[in-house]
Amino acid sequence: MSGRDDQLQLFFPWRIALLVLVMLGCGGVLVARLWKLQVEQAPEHQARLAKQSLRSIRLAGRRGKLFDRNGVPLADNRPSYCLSLYLEELRRPGPRQRTVDAVMDTLYRLAEVMDRPLHLAEQDVWAHLRRRTPLALVAWRDLDAVAMARFIEHEHEFPGVSLTVEPVRVYPEGTLAAHVLGYVGRADEERLAEEEAAEAMDAGQEAPERYHYYLSDVAGRSGLEKALDEDLRAPAGGRLEIQVDVAGFKYQTIEESSRPAGLGSDVTLALDVRVQRAAEAALEGQRGAVVILDPHNGDVLAMASAPTFDPNDFVPTIAPEQWRQLQGPDRPLYNRATAGEYAPGSTFKPVTLLAAMRAGKIRPETRFNCPGVFQLGNARFRCWQTWGHGSIDLALAVRYSCNVYLYHAALACGPEPIQTMARHFGFGRKTGIELDYERPGLVPDDAWKRKNRGEGWRDGDTCNLAIGQGAMLVTPLQAATYCAALANGGTLWKPRLVLSRTSPDGRQLPVPAKAVAREKLWSDADFDVIRRGMRDVVQAPDGSGRRARIDGFEIAAKTGTAEYGLKGSGKKMTWMIAFAPYEAPRYALAFLAEDGASGGSTVAPLVRKLFLAIRDELEADAEDAATVPSIREPAA
Amino acid sequence: MTFGWLKRLWRLFLRQDWIAVLTAVALLGIGLAFIYSASWRGEDTGIVGAWFHKQIVWASLGGALALTLALVDYHFWTRHAWLLFLVSVVLLVLVLVAGRKVYGAYRWLVLFGVPVQPSEFAKVALVILVAHVLGNPALPPHSLGLMLVVLLLAAVPFMLILVEPDLGTALVLGPTIFFMLFAAGMRWRYFFSAAVAALAAAPLGWYFILGDYQKERILTFLDPARDPLNSGWNALQAAIAVGSGGIHGKGFLNGTQNVLGFLPRTVSPSDFIFPVIAEETGFVGACILLGLFALLLATYVRAALVAPDPAGSLLATGLAGLLFSHVFVNIGMTIGLLPITGLPLPLVSSGGSFMLSTLAAFGLVQSVFIRRARAPSSDTIG
Repeated sequence: MSGRDDQLQLFFPWRIALLVLVMLGCGGVLVARLWKLQVEQAPEHQARLAKQSLRSIRLAGRRGKLFDRNGVPLADNRPSYCLSLYLEELRRPGPRQRTVDAVMDTLYRLAEVMDRPLHLAEQDVWAHLRRRTPLALVAWRDLDAVAMARFIEHEHEFPGVSLTVEPVRVYPEGTLAAHVLGYVGRADEERLAEEEAAEAMDAGQEAPERYHYYLSDVAGRSGLEKALDEDLRAPAGGRLEIQVDVAGFKYQTIEESSRPAGLGSDVTLALDVRVQRAAEAALEGQRGAVVILDPHNGDVLAMASAPTFDPNDFVPTIAPEQWRQLQGPDRPLYNRATAGEYAPGSTFKPVTLLAAMRAGKIRPETRFNCPGVFQLGNARFRCWQTWGHGSIDLALAVRYSCNVYLYHAALACGPEPIQTMARHFGFGRKTGIELDYERPGLVPDDAWKRKNRGEGWRDGDTCNLAIGQGAMLVTPLQAATYCAALANGGTLWKPRLVLSRTSPDGRQLPVPAKAVAREKLWSDADFDVIRRGMRDVVQAPDGSGRRARIDGFEIAAKTGTAEYGLKGSGKKMTWMIAFAPYEAPRYALAFLAEDGASGGSTVAPLVRKLFLAIRDELEADAEDAATVPSIREPAA
Repeated sequence: MTFGWLKRLWRLFLRQDWIAVLTAVALLGIGLAFIYSASWRGEDTGIVGAWFHKQIVWASLGGALALTLALVDYHFWTRHAWLLFLVSVVLLVLVLVAGRKVYGAYRWLVLFGVPVQPSEFAKVALVILVAHVLGNPALPPHSLGLMLVVLLLAAVPFMLILVEPDLGTALVLGPTIFFMLFAAGMRWRYFFSAAVAALAAAPLGWYFILGDYQKERILTFLDPARDPLNSGWNALQAAIAVGSGGIHGKGFLNGTQNVLGFLPRTVSPSDFIFPVIAEETGFVGACILLGLFALLLATYVRAALVAPDPAGSLLATGLAGLLFSHVFVNIGMTIGLLPITGLPLPLVSSGGSFMLSTLAAFGLVQSVFIRRARAPSSDTIG
């Protein structure tokens, strides 16, 4: 072979062609792989991208407001000015410590400029950076005008810091109706998520995805704030979707998948702040409860429990020492009006008398002699008037609150008619008011006694029941609904706190009044005897409730004094149930004072004070307008 | 004074492969555009870092180098192949002794304040030397001895680059040498023997050559979920970037993976420029990019076919092999076909030494093409 041939032998175009094929094959593999990644698996990769870079934040909606029946705000929202740090603008490259240092430096300078103490420590900043990186760090809340002005003056020195506004719950009337309104607390994220999922399910929608972050929202913790939480809370909080970078800082907001926070429904209550104020003023210094109803529809015009608390103390969170105080022996948080169970004492006597008349065992003109004591076997039952009332008829028995007359009447008809009548008036079961923690009270009977005391019903029990003592228990609210029924001729209304809801779009959704019982188990004549007796309790100079008397404002009432605790301990629950004006009642109330002397001496003057205030505040208006400021039910 | 040499130069200039030139310019342009995009941090910030501006400088310098090498006869380099090779080996040794450590590897030598990678120079020098040796008609062709000589020569820079360590650059030498040996007509059975030997050597390489982090990378490649936050991170994020691009992509400057930093910002303008392009231009854009590389490779192959002598043909073939290996390994690693090895994408990734070596190689191929035989094929088929 010549050198020239050798050179030709070194040259193999077909081998180069083969190499081209190899390259083409490899290129084909690349294209196939790209097709799989970018076309077939694109949605999957887009989902993974979204998962690692998109964060959703739940924004708190504007909580609905609570108004009294005349539009006076009772629970409102006020703006709280906050100073927020945007960490994505303050961040420093390199280790996180540098960002933390930069944030702390900004905080110290801000504290100095505004002359306000700094509540955040370095570990708080660390915690925020770890767990809530894309969110603004709220450094100060509720800044006053001076601090804000100082900040604004120096705003240009603080990039990444700005004033923000947060709605804060406020109760403009302070302690007024605190037990009805309740209070709010910071919402629990877990529960919020569960509730919203449940609401979506109810609405037939798909359960929403959990949010990554929840901005502080409040939830009702007690009272109407709790009971109406679903209405007051915006139906669905706002959603903010943001894109975060690899370090977790916010990069930008994704507008398309965000939505503003909604508004909660406003609620108009049956409460009348003037009546409520009068009730609380009368209750001042007592431990007890007052409930005032409109006898025509069960509207709760006032509900007070003492001692009380200020729901504003719970915003944003209650201080631990304050919380401990509220747990004290007087239990200010406890709503005595709905959750307190007390022996009704003599306020129960109309029930016994109506039952005995219905059973046909006594008539209004039936007389019994009261020598001041009643002998039943070996036991002696005393009348409160130790020298006795002499021979009296039914109306006088009511007026003087004679016990002996009641023993005779009760033993004549037996316990069952009395228990039936008590239940007819709503005793022994919850009224169904919109508040939590309502107690049912107790109407004792043979079965109850066997179960709880291990022995059968005796005549002595009947005597105790007749005068509202023994095991009988009622709540002030039950006593008020019963009083309203006595006032209106016998219709038992379900007490109503909520008059209407106003949805965010302005639709008014009224809540109709609801009668629990309308049928009359008595003749109008018999019933009238009781009502007249009650009028005499106050109006007659020797009535047991004469200290409640107001000239020109006719009140009908029944006092009650119930011993409790160990026999002879002298501890008494003192009561008055009252309605007025007698001819056309607009107010029916139950007033309980714990540990008073007697209904007539302790409570009657307070009821007088209460009705005086109401008369001065409201009745002048009523005469002008010729109508009572209440929503009347159409005649049934 | 005559301007005859100038006229000659002009004629040579006009004989360039203009398709190749246009393709290379297009790839450089794409590279610049997406280095800009990879440096983009949103409307407020604009671009950060010096990658974009440096790339313009390096591309210009590289262009000048390519033109110079195209006009100079490549035989000048093959004649001095041994010297070039020696210099490259000396530099590779120097880098191990006096190199700058970056991310745990000694790859950079600082010359007059400019960091350079001797391995880039060594790749080209090795190809020139192998083309010179295999294309030498005086040596016995297709002999086992010659093949072993070539492999031994290649082993020197291979080992030196491997211990830097720069596994990616070392590994591309393999296909390159294979391309040249194959094009030179090496016997099939030698290849089979070599393949068997390579397989046998693989376990040895696993235990004695690869460092822990390299093993980790390979294990992660085989099972990406193994360690998604550390060694698996880049591979995972690159796959998400490419995959989420879809068919049409998200649009220029809209690649979220890059802007948000999930695709590590230190490597997105260089080794991971392909995911940036694929995310923003989608399957369509990625295929156009692959098409341009295919076209450029085709011009290299054409140069190999029309070369005036075996050395020129082998030079073009070897450089085609080098370009191909780079493109395939770089793209392959970002789409999960190959383990992650730090290897840039020719003409597109940011980087100085690599830009110069790629464009130098381009110039050498042009030099071969410019000096092509008049009739490209029929009388040279062996």
